[in-house]
Amino acid sequence: MKPLRKRAVSRTILGVVLIVIILVASAGIYFGFMSGTGKSSTTSSSSTTSTGSSTTSSSSTTTTSSGQTKTSLQVDELTEPDYLDPAVTYETSGWEVVEQIYQGLLTYNGSSYTTYEGVLASGWTISPDGMNYTFELRPNVVFSNGDPFNAYVMWYSVYRTLVMNQAPSWILSQNLIAGNGMSFNVTDSMLNSINYFNPSSSNLTVMNRPDQSVVALNASAIQFNLGYGYNGVEPYSAFLATLVTPMAYAVDPAVVASHGGVVADTENDYMTTNALGTGFYELQSWVLGQSVSLVKNQNYWANSLPKSQLNNAIAPAILNDIIIYYKDSATSIADLRAGSVQMIGVPVTYYNVTAPISGVKTAILPIEFGSSEDVHYLYMDTQAFPLFNNIDVRKAIANAIDYQDIIRIVFSGHAQQWIGPVPPGFQYYNESTAGLSPYQYSPVQAAVYLAQAGFVAHLPNGTTLNPGGRQFPTVSFLYDSDNPTDEGAAEIILSNLGAIGIPITLAALPFRQYATTIDSPSSTNSSFAMGFGYYSEDYTASIDYVSYFTTANQIGTSAYVDSQVLNYTYQADAALNGSTIVAAFRSITQSMYQNYTDIWLYVPEFMAVTANGVTGIFPNPAGSGMGYFLYYNTISYTS
Amino acid sequence: MIALRDFLPYLGKRVLGAIGVLIGAMLLVFFISYILNPNPAHLWAGARASKSTIAAVIARYHLDQPWYVQLYYFLQSYVTGNLGVDPQTGKSIISEMAFYFPNTLELVLVSMVMIAVLGVASGYFAGMHFGTKIDHSIRIFYLATWSSPYYLGGFLAILVFSSYIPLFPSGGMYSLTLGNQPAHITGLYILDALIQLNGPAFLSGLQHVFMPAAVLALLDFGLVARIMRSSILNARWSTHVKAARAKGMEEGEVRRNHILRNALIDTNTIIAVTFGFLLSGTIVIEEIFAWPGIGYFTYQAIVSINYPVLVPCVLLFTLGVIVANFIADVFYSLLDPRIALGEGGGSEG
Repeated sequence: MKPLRKRAVSRTILGVVLIVIILVASAGIYFGFMSGTGKSSTTSSSSTTSTGSSTTSSSSTTTTSSGQTKTSLQVDELTEPDYLDPAVTYETSGWEVVEQIYQGLLTYNGSSYTTYEGVLASGWTISPDGMNYTFELRPNVVFSNGDPFNAYVMWYSVYRTLVMNQAPSWILSQNLIAGNGMSFNVTDSMLNSINYFNPSSSNLTVMNRPDQSVVALNASAIQFNLGYGYNGVEPYSAFLATLVTPMAYAVDPAVVASHGGVVADTENDYMTTNALGTGFYELQSWVLGQSVSLVKNQNYWANSLPKSQLNNAIAPAILNDIIIYYKDSATSIADLRAGSVQMIGVPVTYYNVTAPISGVKTAILPIEFGSSEDVHYLYMDTQAFPLFNNIDVRKAIANAIDYQDIIRIVFSGHAQQWIGPVPPGFQYYNESTAGLSPYQYSPVQAAVYLAQAGFVAHLPNGTTLNPGGRQFPTVSFLYDSDNPTDEGAAEIILSNLGAIGIPITLAALPFRQYATTIDSPSSTNSSFAMGFGYYSEDYTASIDYVSYFTTANQIGTSAYVDSQVLNYTYQADAALNGSTIVAAFRSITQSMYQNYTDIWLYVPEFMAVTANGVTGIFPNPAGSGMGYFLYYNTISYTS
Repeated sequence: MIALRDFLPYLGKRVLGAIGVLIGAMLLVFFISYILNPNPAHLWAGARASKSTIAAVIARYHLDQPWYVQLYYFLQSYVTGNLGVDPQTGKSIISEMAFYFPNTLELVLVSMVMIAVLGVASGYFAGMHFGTKIDHSIRIFYLATWSSPYYLGGFLAILVFSSYIPLFPSGGMYSLTLGNQPAHITGLYILDALIQLNGPAFLSGLQHVFMPAAVLALLDFGLVARIMRSSILNARWSTHVKAARAKGMEEGEVRRNHILRNALIDTNTIIAVTFGFLLSGTIVIEEIFAWPGIGYFTYQAIVSINYPVLVPCVLLFTLGVIVANFIADVFYSLLDPRIALGEGGGSEG
């Protein structure tokens, strides 16, 4: 092949072309500044924000004429939402955004997580047998696009969640089903065919039908009938808590209908990244991988209500904009230090970093906030690794772990040991654990138990017990590689167990793989026979935790099934009075504790980090906002 | 001038080679994913997904079938030009990549300009001042930055220029407080702002891209600088440069036409190759600076063994390297008329 020749281009021509490009670009930029600035000013004139800065710093963009009160709040946290559809989202970061845009019938009362107040409902009654919940709805509620809210919309919204049947729908389907599951099933086509704003008589016949889970009694009253879900024909002690979750939030049927409608067992693409509700904020943008921006709902239905009728959950928003950026912890702290954000969500292991920053409040919250985030334990899958069926082996492991060392080294003291399955700080924890002490570190006792189980064991002084016994086989120990505290704790446990004669190898998986592994049904696969388990609340009720630990039968719950404990769980599920629940929880706690089913490890504390001028937060362990409050509407910020 | 009759066969050969590489990459990622997790339905459906949700994922992606059946359906989506649906988000993979890729391209393009300027300039000065303090200083600097990990450079930059001296935002592509955002035309935010003469958005884009691009450039310009320096040394001591000086050519002309130009031949190749690798190498920087690019998207797919997403991402990266190499070869022959396309000298990628 012949060499290819380069075209000779005159340097003069190149120079001229270059100059022309630079001139055109400069002119473009110049005129762009002029026209762009003008456009921006016009756009922002409707709000009190000022323009002129293009950084993410709110301090330069939101100052009013007084220079003190801010109209915008900027926030850094770690994880972006999974979805924005209330029927699909199943992560704290998704709930956080959804809670600002959508609303449900009721919510927790201020900072309480055991009492409730109305949101879209003005009041409710519960039948004496606990099987029927009737809600009166507030009048004149509208979605941010002006579409009306009524009982028929609520009927649609709850059934939509059940028909779509996405991961979190079980929260409702414990007690409800789409229809009644026998003679009457609500289907996707049925949901898509009804006029909810002006229902026909045939529409009303469907929604008024009394023998179903949800009955729209009329436009302003709705009834929930329990007993159709998989819990069986029984009341449920935490039913109101399940209605606080996004699964029971009001969704505009017209918006869904114009974007594909409801499809059974399928998520709606549009709804997963867009949002429109009755709440005090609207979604302005979700830049995937970067940020979510919320703007005050100017058409908010409660704007016209007198103050006497407002509560913290329905009060109109104080701030015009909330921008949530998704950044790692180190960057979040840098932003807070620079004043470019006012709230950050970082683990408690950063306490010693944020506490000394001037102009910043760092507060350790009561332990129930840590519990709602996650409780940690060690699982031993008896099905995958039959040696764990020997209680002496489990006792040896429980005694071999230096719990306080983990808390001191890994968490700098900001964690608490606990006894499960009721999480510390939650209702009935003290009553359930009365008379019990958390598992204690005792390497001598651990070696004795291991020797009793027939294995070679070692005392701290080097003495070998049962030298003729079997060597304990190596066990693979699973932890979450995305969680630095898991890694630190795993290394301590590796050392602790190795010291008495139980060799383990650490097996790390990224969070998503880790989470699905421990939530898988137990099998004879011993790849992850032992490891860290964790549980975060789905709704704020002790029974949520207890049910997980006693009924799940998964790798992460030690494949534990005990018929007697199951019965206690069912009793607590259906109990209408506290004493029955306490008795059931106490029996469960003692049984699991004495059986060493799971080794209860620690609950990391939870901390709130805000700029000094941020006020109006109602901390609530049920909240997803930065992990410790529900709503941004009451928050204000002055610098 | 490159004759079309010479260029087309060369191009055809390169395209055929590229197709082979792409198919190989596709199969490799598919099989690695399959070996890691033959049935990722639970992983894709999410923790605590219901049985019916998991069953729907299995049915949609034929995960209960043997590997060759899965591969058949997977390849079918490529043959039809439809890359399928992301099993985790339920969205079209093409539309997701169309959102993420331009963001990465913007970051890499800005970074490449910085790398080219920094690398060529510092390599030139080091080479022209061989053995002096300037040469030593430049070499120490680029070796230090080149051997630094991205996360260190990223966090240091944020700490200094976002926290202590708040000159630049610590993350994101643009300010959300701007009232008027440019409409999506090319997907490159800065370019879109420029096209629509939106000054504040243009400035905001520049301000946001500067720090991540500068960190990428600072940590990657070392290779270019090093090649440039050694090329300058080779050129300085070559006989044709000595001959040019002996003929009385002006020093400035000697440097421009005989030293710099010759040195740029190898450097150009390295710049082009660096571009290809940067496209796939921004994962860490995108994570640190909350930059919603293809690296971020790929990382999410990797941790979920989400091969329907992972494969097209890897193909995109592979394509980036192939195209960059190809462009380097073309420039190679343009810069040096002695070098023919496809006949040695140029990298065959």
